[in-house]
Amino acid sequence: MNENYFRWRQRCLIVLFILMLAELIVVTSTVFSQEEVASAIRRYKGYESSTGYYEEFEVKPNRIRPFVGVSEVKKSVFSYSPAASEVRVRTRLSDSHYGIRFYENLSCQYCHPAEAMDIHTTRANLSCRQCHGAEPIASIEHYYSSLNPIRKHAYVCSKCHEGASASFASYIVHEPAPGSPEARKTFSELYYAYWFMMFLLTVTLAFFIPHSFLVGLRELIKQIGKWRNQ
Amino acid sequence: MIETTVIKRFSLSERLFHFLLMLSFLIQSATGFGRLFINSKWGEKVCYVFGGYENASLIHHFVGGIMIAGFLLHIIFLLFKINWLDLRQSLFGPDSLIPNFQDIRHLSRQIRWLFGVGDHPRFDRWTYWEKFDYWGVFWGLPLLAITGIMLIYPLWTCRFAPGWILNVAALLHRAEAILAVSYIFIVHFFIGHLRPASFPMNEAMFSGNVVLGQATEEKPAWIERLKMKGAIEKIKAQPPSQWFRVIYYVFGYSSILLGVYLLINGIIYSRYIRLH
Ligand code: HEC
Ligand code: HEC
Ligand code: HEC
Repeated sequence: MNENYFRWRQRCLIVLFILMLAELIVVTSTVFSQEEVASAIRRYKGYESSTGYYEEFEVKPNRIRPFVGVSEVKKSVFSYSPAASEVRVRTRLSDSHYGIRFYENLSCQYCHPAEAMDIHTTRANLSCRQCHGAEPIASIEHYYSSLNPIRKHAYVCSKCHEGASASFASYIVHEPAPGSPEARKTFSELYYAYWFMMFLLTVTLAFFIPHSFLVGLRELIKQIGKWRNQ
Repeated sequence: MIETTVIKRFSLSERLFHFLLMLSFLIQSATGFGRLFINSKWGEKVCYVFGGYENASLIHHFVGGIMIAGFLLHIIFLLFKINWLDLRQSLFGPDSLIPNFQDIRHLSRQIRWLFGVGDHPRFDRWTYWEKFDYWGVFWGLPLLAITGIMLIYPLWTCRFAPGWILNVAALLHRAEAILAVSYIFIVHFFIGHLRPASFPMNEAMFSGNVVLGQATEEKPAWIERLKMKGAIEKIKAQPPSQWFRVIYYVFGYSSILLGVYLLINGIIYSRYIRLH
């Protein structure tokens, strides 16, 4: 490499350095005193990406006992008990186990095996009640439930994750098995990420393992031939 | 007759990068597997070595940071390696690691050769699988780095993205890690150590040299090119000293043992893998 080249390279580096400095000056974020606060929502959105609007959850429970009777929705063929069978949708009850027989004698996992597979339970060793609270366990979307998305970040997650925001709390604690058809319906991003990675894994290994094995085999044959010749 | 002429293949900085990557990769796979399998007895044992589950993740985060720094350093190193005055030759010439059409021809020829049809392709400096090894890091490491940072700082991440992104990040991190670990511990180790041409160990990445006769056999186009230019004399090197060889043999074989140990136990305990 010649003299010229080195000088040229040095010049490039200097230009690069100046560009970086310029970028630091121009692109640094505005300081707080310069922030334009048009509304509280705007400032709120500076700190997290969820909308800050929760109308969809703001469904107050009925005054009378909350039998949310949507007749088409039936969860399973056999009901747990005659009283329970009247409750078709349990997502907005103050006691989600209202009328379910033998509830007191069974562990949570017995009836909710899928919910016991999340990392909080299997790895961090949390018990269900650390999040779901004491009796009665409210349905998630009951208006006063501590796990209602309006407040779960403040009432539940931030007990352990200091400073949890509502968008953090939109983490799906009980995620569906990522490759399942259920995940495709309820959490398609996870579903496609899973199958994409599986595809990558299969293609890479399915090509390279036989490839390396065959290379080894052919080289062995060649080697044996050489030994024979000697 | 034993060939003793050796020529240089890897520079010291390239070998240092490889060494750093190797060391950090092994630590990451051990601590990562400890965490992935924490529900099993074996996972507990692995974590125990690092001082428990929490410490294992601490080490995992720290070494991850070193890996990212190494990767960025490597990019800067590349910018310096490129000959900007002759960009075409530097990027697409035979000494470059960038894949080109020649690799596709080599691949199809190699496949025919594997099944006993036709001759061995005349590889130049880098074979296509060496190029794949190199670029594999370029897709794996950034993916692991980005999802890893997201999981280390979940609250910060959620200032920019909804929380369900963490579910996806955790899935991608684990799946990509499993892919990388199985590729390195099966394919890369086999190619580097076990196949007859490199058994018991391909020393090029540690000593920096290759034996001329071997290189002529495996990469004839490269040696021919060097001979045409009369560059062979220039890159003749000293064979590594005996104690240095002992050191890298011990290091190489302990890495293999560790890798195979993790791989086999990973397969045995694979029912404990939770991607979610
Ligand atoms: C006897 C079986 C049984 C046991 C034991 C049980 N559950 Fe349930 N649980 C149910 C049934 C049935 C429902 C209604 C399911 C539905 O609507 O899909 C339900 C609903 C819930 C819901 C509300 C779901 C929603 O859609 O909002 C929560 C939360 C819940 N259970 C938590 C727990 C926890 C925590 C425990 C352990 C303390 C527990 N359950 C023990 C049967 C049981
Ligand atoms: C980290 C806190 C946490 C723990 C621990 C936890 N849950 Fe939940 N649970 C939630 C949240 C948040 C939801 C709302 C839906 C979601 O994010 O998956 C939920 C939803 C549910 C539901 C409603 C149906 C569904 O899957 O969405 C049931 C049933 C339930 N949990 C049962 C359990 C049981 C049983 C356990 C113990 C094995 C448990 N939970 C442990 C936080 C927790
Ligand atoms: C009782 C304490 C506790 C509560 C309450 C709790 N968490 Fe956690 N969470 C943990 C622990 C401990 C871990 C570390 C698990 C690990 O790394 O193995 C964790 C890990 C996480 C992670 C990282 C997952 C990963 O793959 O690394 C996310 C995201 C998370 N929690 C979200 C939530 C959300 C959302 C809530 C509220 C619904 C919540 N947590 C409530 C204790 C808690």
